[in-house]
Amino acid sequence: MKLYASLFAAGLAFATSAVQAEAQRTGEMMANTCAACHGTQGRLEALALMPLAGMEQEEFIRAMTDFRSGARPSTLMGSLATGFSEAEIKAMAEFFAAQPLK
Amino acid sequence: MQRRDFLKLLGAGTLAGSGLVGRSAFASAAPHVVIVGGGVGGATAAKYIKLADRNVRVTLIERNPIYIRPYGSSEVLTGHIGMSDLEVSYDALKNRYGIEVIIDTAVGLDPVKQEVATAGGSRIRYDRLIVSPGIQLHYDAIEGYSKEVAETRIPSGWIPGSQTQLLANQLKAMPQGGTFVIVAPGGPYRCPPGPYERAALVTEWMGRHNPTGKVLILDPKDGFVTDQTMILGWNRLYGFNVPAKFREGMPTEGEWPMRDYAEPSRLAWVPASDGGTVRRIDPVRMELEADNGLHRADVINVVPPMTAGKVAYQMGLTDEKGWCPIDRRTHESAIHPNVHVIGDACIADAMPKSGFSANNQGKVVARAVVDLLAGRPTEEPLWKNTCYALAGSEYGLYVADVFKLKDGKIARINGARYLPLDATRAQIRTGAVYQQAWMKTITDDSFA
Amino acid sequence: MKIRILLAAASLGLAAQAHGEVAREVASWTPATLDKTLSTMPAGDVNRGRQVHQNQFCASCHGVEGVAPTRNWPSVAGQRAEYTYKMLKDYKDERRNEDGRADPMVALARQMSEQEMADVAAYYASLPLGARNSEPMTPLQHTLVRKGDPARLLTSCAACHGLKGQGGKNESPALAGQPYEYLVRTLENYRNGLRANDVHHGMGQFAMPLTDAEIDAVARYYAR
Repeated sequence: MKLYASLFAAGLAFATSAVQAEAQRTGEMMANTCAACHGTQGRLEALALMPLAGMEQEEFIRAMTDFRSGARPSTLMGSLATGFSEAEIKAMAEFFAAQPLK
Repeated sequence: MQRRDFLKLLGAGTLAGSGLVGRSAFASAAPHVVIVGGGVGGATAAKYIKLADRNVRVTLIERNPIYIRPYGSSEVLTGHIGMSDLEVSYDALKNRYGIEVIIDTAVGLDPVKQEVATAGGSRIRYDRLIVSPGIQLHYDAIEGYSKEVAETRIPSGWIPGSQTQLLANQLKAMPQGGTFVIVAPGGPYRCPPGPYERAALVTEWMGRHNPTGKVLILDPKDGFVTDQTMILGWNRLYGFNVPAKFREGMPTEGEWPMRDYAEPSRLAWVPASDGGTVRRIDPVRMELEADNGLHRADVINVVPPMTAGKVAYQMGLTDEKGWCPIDRRTHESAIHPNVHVIGDACIADAMPKSGFSANNQGKVVARAVVDLLAGRPTEEPLWKNTCYALAGSEYGLYVADVFKLKDGKIARINGARYLPLDATRAQIRTGAVYQQAWMKTITDDSFA
Repeated sequence: MKIRILLAAASLGLAAQAHGEVAREVASWTPATLDKTLSTMPAGDVNRGRQVHQNQFCASCHGVEGVAPTRNWPSVAGQRAEYTYKMLKDYKDERRNEDGRADPMVALARQMSEQEMADVAAYYASLPLGARNSEPMTPLQHTLVRKGDPARLLTSCAACHGLKGQGGKNESPALAGQPYEYLVRTLENYRNGLRANDVHHGMGQFAMPLTDAEIDAVARYYAR
């Protein structure tokens, strides 16, 4: 029980230190949320939705900014894109650009 | 498959393909994560732990050898797909990711010894436990209704299975001009647009197979997720007259305006303020007693009140309302440390109880658990929820959410949540195409 | 040839199954039916076509200016109007529906009139065609693109599609500046019979003997 309590305390300590750090999300954490439509790590079979793996960073950034501004029409991407800052979009772009196509 | 065979497979090139690459924080004495519940949440958590760190030992305890997906199961009623199309295998989790899948029922927890007890008599020790218990349906909460009635006469099917097939058969056998009643749920429930999508798909199906038949939704609420956009679809496709409180912003000109109809639609929705709350069901006479009077039906589909799945109670993870309180950052239970709860059962504030939410929560918890086990600070989480829903097989709507942590709660932070009311036909049609693709992509991301 | 037809039939069956519909018999193109279709194609209007491009959601996959913002789908800017018109008709009739990527096109083409198809085709033809890359030609590319291989009855690509990928007469499409992956996939689909909306399987017969390396070389030559 003692061990268990100290483990718990350690867990709390981590949580606290993380809160104190600025709320920065990794590209991977954010990109993972795309995967339910765009495939795990952006890899997709031949489907109506587009794969993101291996996409050039500029292409990804332009896609997100065009969706957000409405320049590029979409079903729901326009709305989702409003949930991300420039830095967050960049972080996701870096993640997807680094993923192998297959 | 034996572990050795799996390693051989890895050697044969599965490693790169599965994304199981990168450095591990654990060499020998790898920690053991046990996951209870192999639905979307549990499966996704298992897979994404392996993607985050392949050396973590992951055991998934699930009572059914085959998963039957609830999302899209209304398409069985209309014959668009069959029951077997809902089946999802655990083979990829086992063979591709090296997850140990135990087909057994978890029945209890020793949070001090850190052990899960199963119906099969095993006690399985964990370093971290993730519980993805899903929901249980409280049939008895409606007078006259029960599990027995649901399995024989008035199916629910909200957890898909034999009741789904029974309901499909009843719909097909319904007499011409008959009435199909859907009893919508109050309180928090799985798949918020689901009952209304189901009503729409059944109405569409009856247009072809039972054109004088009627669909009636009895509802203990006055609104629902997607309501205005779904109701506009009903108006366009089924001549449903839009109630006054939903008319604001509806298109009255252009390529596809809202119209008013002299005749009532084959689809009717009775919200709570019009007396839609059902108080009693008579399964013998096939009658429903609602606040606005007695309704006679030929087929009844009930979405009963629900709470976290039974195992969440057995493990002592629920609050007085039957849902599981958590630390939102890591999904760690507010009751038992080292135990995390995800999916429909957890209290996730603005996040709806949906398969997509469970998928995203599975990823957040996977990352958090691996970081905690490695003694690293946990990452700032982010979740999405996107649900495509249909007002007809070629009429796609959606819900689009991005969530961040704000003051310890999960808060929605992005723009418009629903399809715009002035969306073009092409946008709507495309939404329905994406809906079909999304059934596959979310299943693959969670299970394959 | 027999194998190809079998494969094409199998793919039709698969496509029909995936959509939960009974396969419809759609006659393959002959020079006569294609001539008739193209000679009765309505006159397209560029301005109306721009509206169709907006209203039909085309930009979501093919880009705001018709330049594909993804390797998953082709660019349409600068494409020959006859080709765009024929493709839209082929999607509508499911002569072309090679895999799930085509699902949006089949659904949307069914919502379009022939006039709208001609208008959007005219609009795309009015936009500048993308350029092929400026890499020097390899010997293999020289053989395939410029010379052809008479021993294998391979006409040179340039004979119909142009040395710069500008396209030929009638329905022979422009290829310049397409995403590399799209060109590879297209040739593979012609080779395995998944795509069979060409007249008398003309393109299919050219693609059939190509090796993977040759497909890669041709795609690299014309790609952006």
